[in-house]
Amino acid sequence: MNYNLTGRTRTVLFGGMLLGLVCLLYTWFGINHSDDTLHTRFWANFLHNSVFFTGIALMAGFFMSVSITAWAGWYVVFKRVWESMSLFLIIGLILMTIMGISTFLGWNTLYHWNDAESVAHDKILQGKSGFLNRYWYLFGTVILLAIWTFIVSRIRSLSLAEEENGNSEEFSYHHTIRKYAATYLPIAGFGSAALVWQWIMSIDAHWYSTMFAWYTGASWFVSMIALTILILLFLKNKGYYQNVSVEHLHDLGKFLFAFSIFWTYVWFSQYMLIWYANVGEETIYFKERVDNYKALFWLNLGINFVAPFFILMRNDTKRKFGTLGFVAGLVVFGHWLDFFLMIRPGVKHTAHVLGGHGDGHGHGDHGHGDHGHDTAHGAHDAAHGAHEAGHDVAHAAGAHADSVFELGYTLPGFLEIGTFIGFLCLFFYFVLAKVASASLTSSSDPYIQESVHHHT
Amino acid sequence: MANTKDIVYGLYNDEEDLLRAVKQAKADHLEIMDVYTPFPIHGLDPILGLEESRLHIAGFIYGAIGTLTAFGGMTWIFTKDWKQIFGGKPHWPVPSFIPITFELTVLFACVGMVITFYVINGLGPGVVNPTIDLRITDDKFCIAFDKSEVNAAAAESFLRSSGASEVHSKTI
Repeated sequence: MNYNLTGRTRTVLFGGMLLGLVCLLYTWFGINHSDDTLHTRFWANFLHNSVFFTGIALMAGFFMSVSITAWAGWYVVFKRVWESMSLFLIIGLILMTIMGISTFLGWNTLYHWNDAESVAHDKILQGKSGFLNRYWYLFGTVILLAIWTFIVSRIRSLSLAEEENGNSEEFSYHHTIRKYAATYLPIAGFGSAALVWQWIMSIDAHWYSTMFAWYTGASWFVSMIALTILILLFLKNKGYYQNVSVEHLHDLGKFLFAFSIFWTYVWFSQYMLIWYANVGEETIYFKERVDNYKALFWLNLGINFVAPFFILMRNDTKRKFGTLGFVAGLVVFGHWLDFFLMIRPGVKHTAHVLGGHGDGHGHGDHGHGDHGHDTAHGAHDAAHGAHEAGHDVAHAAGAHADSVFELGYTLPGFLEIGTFIGFLCLFFYFVLAKVASASLTSSSDPYIQESVHHHT
Repeated sequence: MANTKDIVYGLYNDEEDLLRAVKQAKADHLEIMDVYTPFPIHGLDPILGLEESRLHIAGFIYGAIGTLTAFGGMTWIFTKDWKQIFGGKPHWPVPSFIPITFELTVLFACVGMVITFYVINGLGPGVVNPTIDLRITDDKFCIAFDKSEVNAAAAESFLRSSGASEVHSKTI
């Protein structure tokens, strides 16, 4: 039985994509804010959602490869969903290439290290310039994403060929798929770490954390599991995937539960090491977030840890589609907020520094005076002349001076939510279209019987 | 032993045979005394009509006690009993309590569940477990009937017809 993406689902998804597009266009043309002269909010939104969904696609391929490499069979009835999700890397490649070109040509000012004048006055940024530079950013992104895309596309086409030509007694296709899957694992694992340092961690250009790749990886992974659950529940609700039983969803629920805890573990490890060591250039990251993003900071823990932990703890809540779907939806939004919290404080700060400097971008003074930002910028100017230690003090002073409530920076505004809905609908549309383009369950996978009779 | 049982039991070579036989016995309304297998068999519990264990509820309670013990204990020690300053942190440094709270939660839950399990099942030092057949810990799957509950002849013929490789009677 094949799924057809038609009718109301299609209309709703196109509507959502249109909403996202309108929101993106509005953030480009409609915002008249002193911090946004360089279209910071547009690029921040674009980066945020692109990275979020590219990472989810990456993790879908990653978990599929883990399962293939580990001889796992339970997921085979719905493996087309993971194949389709991982193929979203094609869209991710396009989106992140746009981001890379934009950074390469200096169209956006999200990255402090991408500003030649700032780097010239900043020893820390000079020290990092071997890795944090526009060549690494563009070519690293394009090359690694292209490799991932190639491998998941090969796995997909081999899997389709297996169904076309093979049978479940024949292992030749499966062996080839295993080789690709095993190749994908280290490349995706190490590559995603390097890329997420570039994409997100380098927004706070002076700061770094060795836990960061784990932390974002866990975030992507949980979101991937949650979206898998939502897609499966949607298709089951439409009458497809009757062979995906409550047992499969129970296992996905366990993964959602377990990796929510893993995410919390990594989040907390990062927080506690920095809190305990109390080194100025590290604590500034959390000081900024705890002081100026208080609601989001705690909401992040509430949605992504407390809710899934207590709701999914019981056996039956993982087996009831209502509670499972509710938590999955909550957690997707929660991890989107998590990425918001990773990106926005640094972006806002960089926009202040670069926007107020009147540097090589040809933007002069944009009337920051009426916002009372002059003192903060004065402190920044002084710090840029001084050595590294002075910078953090000024950073803290600057962060403190502009702790005003700003939609889109300190909290997600309607434009952020709209853009998120747009990207989400794009993701769903792409995945459902890919699911519709092949049979829902491959009858030729060697593990199909194990999966059909899966029992927890 | 005061309460010995006369049983008749069959040994199967494969867990699929066993599962089929258990289903058949249920359909024939033969009261199974117990089923013995070398490893847990998926899907056996619901067929036998066993209720889900409530051990995990006890585990949650023990874990919660562990959480409260660790967090409350450290809070009392560091804010009331013996205030100290470590690394310039406040007297109530919540983040540094978390790892110990976690460890004690796990410890209380584990130890509590093990003890509960032993007590409920009457296990402990010196308990002798009457083994029906040593091979049920290796590669045989066993269905046992209590002769006081079922017709012995009917049970025996059922075991033979449902694919048991051996059928024996025993008093345990």
